[in-house]
Amino acid sequence: MSLLTDFGPDSGGRVKGLVIVKPIVYGNVARYFGKKREEDGHTHQWTVYVKPYANEDMSVYVKKVHFKLHESYANPNRIITKPPYELTETGWGEFEIVIKIYFHDPNERPVTLYHILKLFQSPVSEGSPPVGRALVSESYEEIVFQEPTQLMQHLLNSVKPITNGQWTHDTNFEEKKEKTLERVISAQTKVRSEITELKEKLQLAKETITKFKEEIAKLQNNPTSNILPGA
Amino acid sequence: MADILDILDIEQPGASEITRDSIIHGDKVKKKYVTAKAVRRPEGMHREVFALLYNDNKDLPPLLPTDTGKAYKQTKAKLGMRKVRKWVWAPFTNPARKDNAVFYHWKRASDEAKEYPFAQFNKQVSIPSYSESEYNQYLKSEDWSQAETDHLMDLCQRFDLRFIVIHDRWDKAAFRDRSVEDLKERYYNICSILSKVKTNPWSNTVTMVNGEKRVYHYDAEHERKRKEQLKRLFDRTQEQIDEEQMLLAELKKIEARKRERERKTQDLQKLISRADSGNSVANTQANVTNEGVTMPSNTVSNIVRRHDRKLHKKKLTTQQRLVRVETVSVEWSGIKFPEARGTGVWLRSQRMKLPPGVGQRKTKAIEQELRLMNIDIAPTPTEAICKHFNELRSDLALALDLKNALASCEFELQALRHQYEALNPGKTLSIPPSICNLNVDGEAKPIGEIIDVVGSPTALNTTI
Repeated sequence: MSLLTDFGPDSGGRVKGLVIVKPIVYGNVARYFGKKREEDGHTHQWTVYVKPYANEDMSVYVKKVHFKLHESYANPNRIITKPPYELTETGWGEFEIVIKIYFHDPNERPVTLYHILKLFQSPVSEGSPPVGRALVSESYEEIVFQEPTQLMQHLLNSVKPITNGQWTHDTNFEEKKEKTLERVISAQTKVRSEITELKEKLQLAKETITKFKEEIAKLQNNPTSNILPGA
Repeated sequence: MADILDILDIEQPGASEITRDSIIHGDKVKKKYVTAKAVRRPEGMHREVFALLYNDNKDLPPLLPTDTGKAYKQTKAKLGMRKVRKWVWAPFTNPARKDNAVFYHWKRASDEAKEYPFAQFNKQVSIPSYSESEYNQYLKSEDWSQAETDHLMDLCQRFDLRFIVIHDRWDKAAFRDRSVEDLKERYYNICSILSKVKTNPWSNTVTMVNGEKRVYHYDAEHERKRKEQLKRLFDRTQEQIDEEQMLLAELKKIEARKRERERKTQDLQKLISRADSGNSVANTQANVTNEGVTMPSNTVSNIVRRHDRKLHKKKLTTQQRLVRVETVSVEWSGIKFPEARGTGVWLRSQRMKLPPGVGQRKTKAIEQELRLMNIDIAPTPTEAICKHFNELRSDLALALDLKNALASCEFELQALRHQYEALNPGKTLSIPPSICNLNVDGEAKPIGEIIDVVGSPTALNTTI
């Protein structure tokens, strides 16, 4: 960390108004053995991972990634300090994995992700994959560095590509993003019009209530005459 | 000095033949212990028993129990090896006394004859004096005759302003009895007048502050009150003291109860506001954006709750409910998501968490709506999706609130119609069909039934 010295005592100072966003993908792949393993009853091999969404080397700004597994694993706290930030294990059950990402600048607090390790294809989802092919369960997330420290800014801006080739993901997140946004916005329009309608109805209902009350008041004040206006 | 050094066990470099050792053990003749012949352990005697009888020095055990061992004995120091200074019984005179009385006391022979040292503490109070003409000019008083004043000044001089003593020695035969306060008042009054008219100030009544004369002012009235108060406090009976204690204890209890009550009220307030925001009717969140419909919130919330419970009860206490109309206006709002935090790292998806103010029921209802619209309840978190997704959920919450409010309005309308029908048999009021359409509880009568009105006021058939 010779970089620290470059910024001297000011390295803790934050860059006002700057926001840097680093999209990431986290999740797991799992492969079924095809049978239950004799010695420990494990059925799957799985790999949990955190990787950058863009073709960038995260290790420039990420110090370590801490995966917290289920208590039943031997030393459930696994720390990965170099990319790829992934961990391969075998098991028979699904559980929540707590993933904590630490940054090089200790002034930036670590962020915590929660991933439910997925081993079994849910029956309702889009058709079971061919046997032997890995099951993928991954999520898109954005790490937002709001007013990062100068050191962190420097690190975040000096990322290098991981590979010269294509950097792709199993899930087509671009398409997913687009579709989701579309759907949300159309739903929003629908709900907005519904709200307008409801407000009008409510207005009418309240006016009607007032009128009903007036009518009742008239009757109570003048019980003998049953004449109604407009009748 | 040598004594102290000795006591502190400090080695005196040029110490004479007197050493600590020589003082303490000076008189002891160094005993030569004759080593007894080694006593052999008798055959058959246990080693432990033998050890009790004979120690390593091989001396014989004492026949009588002794406690003269070194460890516990206070060594007698032989102090005062030097010559003592002489004390003599000497006469002395006290300069503070004017009668030249001679007393005797012990003093060191070496000390020279000095003035009696305690004479310096005989401080004299300087009492102002006045001439006949001065008295007549300045000091005349209706209450005090000159003779009486003279008597007072004389006593002041004699007893050094010890007013309690002065009061005691007051010539009650010649003058009328006066209180200590009266005496003091007169005296200090004279002092202040004389200090003004005379040039030489008296040390004890006049002080110079920044070249300005300051005269001690005696507030007789205050002193009288103070003493009266003390007297009363002292004169209280045991019953009065007990009563006061009892009252104080009562006061403490009352205050404690008051605090308890206030705390409970606050708790209740919190509970009510939480319940209201949870019930989504009276959403009291501030910073309402564009929603401007106002409703009498209390009525509505009350009705909504009743509505839930008494759906099947046709019997309605309409009159009762009508009393409860209030005019508190609450603006409808959706969900208020927290603003972006200051600095640091955060995850975009955190922005999509519903704030804790949103209740369980509402959260469930929103999720249900989202599922119906085929939208993931945890969508891919980009900035745009986050924003729109939050807006959407806020709108959904608002729509749910409005639906609830509308349902309660409809409920009220039904109730009012029943009331009207009871008052005016054979006639009824018509509820605008658009409102009834929304009726979700399935309790409403078919629209046709509602509309078959004879003589329904046309004015009520408002169109949307």
